[in-house]
Amino acid sequence: MAGKSKAIIIGSGPGGSTAAMTLAEGGWDVVIFEKGTNYFGDLKSQAPSTLFSNDELKGPTRFFEDPDTDELEPRTYRPDNTTGATFTGFVNNIPTTVGGGAVHFDAKTPRYWDIDFRKKSMLGPIDGADIIDWPFDYAEIAPYYDEIERLIGVAGDIHLIAETPTRAHAPRVNQLPMPPGPPQRSSILLSGGATALGLHPFPAPMAINSVPYDGRPACNNCGQCSHYGCPIHARIGALAPLRRALLAGAELRPESFVSNINRDGTRATGVTWVDYAGKSHTEKADLVVVAANAIESSRLVLLSQLPDPHGVVGKYLMFHWFTAGFGIFLHERPHANRGRSTTHVADDFADPDFPGARAAAAASGLPYFRGGTLELGGTQEPIGEAKTYQFVLATALGGAKPFGTAFKELMRASLLRDRLCGVEMLAEDLPQRTNAVDLDPQVKDYRGFPVARITYSPHEHELAAQRFYIPLLTALLKASGADAAAAVPETSSQLFPVAEGNLPTGAHIMGGLRMSADPALGATDAYGRLHTMDNVVVADGAVFASSGAHNVTLTIMATALRNSRHWVSVFGNRTTAPAPARASELPPTGGPSATAGLAAAAAGVAGIASLRAWPRDERPVRGES
Amino acid sequence: MAEGHISRRQFIQGASLLGLAALVPAELMNWARAEAAGAGFLFFDDHQAAVVREATARLIPGPLDDPLEMGHPGAREANVTRYIDTMLGALTVTPEKIHAGGPWSNRSGGTTNYMANFIPLTAPQRLGWQKKLASLQKQYADGVKALDAAASGDFVGADNNTKDQVLTNAGAFRDLLFTHAIEGMYSIPEYGGNQNLVGWKEIKFKGDTQPRGYTAAEVTNSDGLDFYLPTGVAATLLQQLDAAAAAMVRQRSYGR
Repeated sequence: MAGKSKAIIIGSGPGGSTAAMTLAEGGWDVVIFEKGTNYFGDLKSQAPSTLFSNDELKGPTRFFEDPDTDELEPRTYRPDNTTGATFTGFVNNIPTTVGGGAVHFDAKTPRYWDIDFRKKSMLGPIDGADIIDWPFDYAEIAPYYDEIERLIGVAGDIHLIAETPTRAHAPRVNQLPMPPGPPQRSSILLSGGATALGLHPFPAPMAINSVPYDGRPACNNCGQCSHYGCPIHARIGALAPLRRALLAGAELRPESFVSNINRDGTRATGVTWVDYAGKSHTEKADLVVVAANAIESSRLVLLSQLPDPHGVVGKYLMFHWFTAGFGIFLHERPHANRGRSTTHVADDFADPDFPGARAAAAASGLPYFRGGTLELGGTQEPIGEAKTYQFVLATALGGAKPFGTAFKELMRASLLRDRLCGVEMLAEDLPQRTNAVDLDPQVKDYRGFPVARITYSPHEHELAAQRFYIPLLTALLKASGADAAAAVPETSSQLFPVAEGNLPTGAHIMGGLRMSADPALGATDAYGRLHTMDNVVVADGAVFASSGAHNVTLTIMATALRNSRHWVSVFGNRTTAPAPARASELPPTGGPSATAGLAAAAAGVAGIASLRAWPRDERPVRGES
Repeated sequence: MAEGHISRRQFIQGASLLGLAALVPAELMNWARAEAAGAGFLFFDDHQAAVVREATARLIPGPLDDPLEMGHPGAREANVTRYIDTMLGALTVTPEKIHAGGPWSNRSGGTTNYMANFIPLTAPQRLGWQKKLASLQKQYADGVKALDAAASGDFVGADNNTKDQVLTNAGAFRDLLFTHAIEGMYSIPEYGGNQNLVGWKEIKFKGDTQPRGYTAAEVTNSDGLDFYLPTGVAATLLQQLDAAAAAMVRQRSYGR
């Protein structure tokens, strides 16, 4: 269509799909490049057929929806810039598939707090960290949160959310579109312990249907949830905005890797991309939207050698700092493997004014620190459990014969699965200029492009908060009735060696192209545009200016929605943007076609199987009908 | 270790001398025979299969392998040898047997077993698995030879104490075998192991539950008192829970 502006979007995850929806509905030609594979059928339907399933081997063990970081696309890691890479392989989790990380996220959808967006002005600087405010505050982003909550279907009850500290820091007016789902036994037990300690647990707002919603069924509690794709689309995630983008004419190209943003001076002209067969192509565009995950987006900007006079591209990388607690119940099997991942959370440890936190921070030479939100009541699956026993029998338990009946007895007892209730704290990680993504000087991916090298060490803030909260996690588990309890750092460093190679871990990755009005302090401006380019914008977690102390996806989508609305108005030089979708156009609770979703998920399977079997050239990857 | 545990072991060891094998349920014997007769491996030759079968049966023993496991199927009964062979030879069949299909099987209310339809690999997935499997195939070929060599040339024919000693000293290959035996015990049966779902039944795991799932009551309510008195290795695990917790974190796919 002559006269339409064209946007290329790199990445079909929560951020990229949200931007695609806004731009496509705003009258743009949109092409979405996705490096990963499409495991869905008709993405224009409310509940496309899917190849995801309750299969612990396929996803969590063989990394079905992830790139092959062992053989083809590793990342490298070093603790600081004085050494070469100390590890090559799996450095943090970056799902690579249509729908991105939201295909298997645990669907917690908390909002960030006022103090996250105004961290410098409300909490103040910390020596050794590079703390700034976001370009907007909570009040500005709140309406976008409302929209995303309706779009992807969040279940919860704002009246059950703790007034202190949660609603005090993230006020809510509108009720969520669905009530909470059934609470898990394990989450009830740990919430009891939390309450006994004086904390304020509540049913987590989660983007999982508790009732039929927007043509998709209610969750049936299969339990293989976090780190599994949903077999019934009770958790739709990024496919909701992706569908709207496709219905508005956007085109999706899976298995297409963008290797370069092409430019003429400070104006991007399009991209170079590599197809499934390894053949290189170019495609022109008026706007390039980067949404490939914080690490991969930074890598692409570096691969493209876009101007970077202040040396900020890839800097201020942040990971949430995870701590895991494990409570063992000898008098019952709390069966935490039934239900939606964990149904309750508590935010008290995310509060810098939690009793004792200020004093503990001062003792470590810090003005304040924050832990993070607690997820209450998780466990692991049998293969993971069994490998745990395999490992401890050969190490900690150190018997003469690290296998045999001892292993069988541990599996039957199931102390670390069916009798386990876990708690996880995902805590704030301060931005530091020295924590960064750059291009590895030696290691290349199988296509021949330099891989991302991660340089990362924690700030004393993360370590001090972790030391303070670990005993409290153990106390919470004991107060819940656990007969034995332990809490350990899950994010690892040389200071807390847990994982092999002392790798930073955790699935939440932020920063690298953070938003700042000052080009010397962040690569992107107040609306996520690269300061140095006229028409290259960023729509994923790379733009975060602080990591917050909560799950990231809702904030990625709300930020992408806010920023992409702005792009439609300022970049659309040849079209007039129609009014954005009103809340009234979004699905009401319990749409009439909701029960059709389950049947559709099964009925479309034949279609998807044939799609996968077709010759590559004829594969109907294009979004138009 | 509790006294009662020891005396039970001593009792059963004594009993085995009196011909306990005769008490093994016929059903289990039939599985074992059918599995042992299983020709048509994708990768293993008969000898490699036999060594892997006997070695994994020491790692995760069943009733035929350890008298303490009477009534408790192990790697032999789950046919983890078939699982490992299917993995090592996965690229020799079309579609490749690496990723089972979805969205569900016919085990929990589904009318069709979609998991039986394997998903064709993409070009990069195939490239990665080619590299991975070439390495694993070599490790298995070499590892089987090493087990034989350490057992005076015949691992399969060695007595159980010798097998255990050889495996205890087998280091990296033992770890690899054990990891794959675990996967074969507890994965969905479409991958070749967990035959008759014996792996899941043994640990009271319901397996893939879609499209039925669990009811709200099953999610929310307690299943009632179910007391476990930890003795032996379970008691040791609880004493060393900090180390076990660290191991658990290490096993997580997103933090591996």
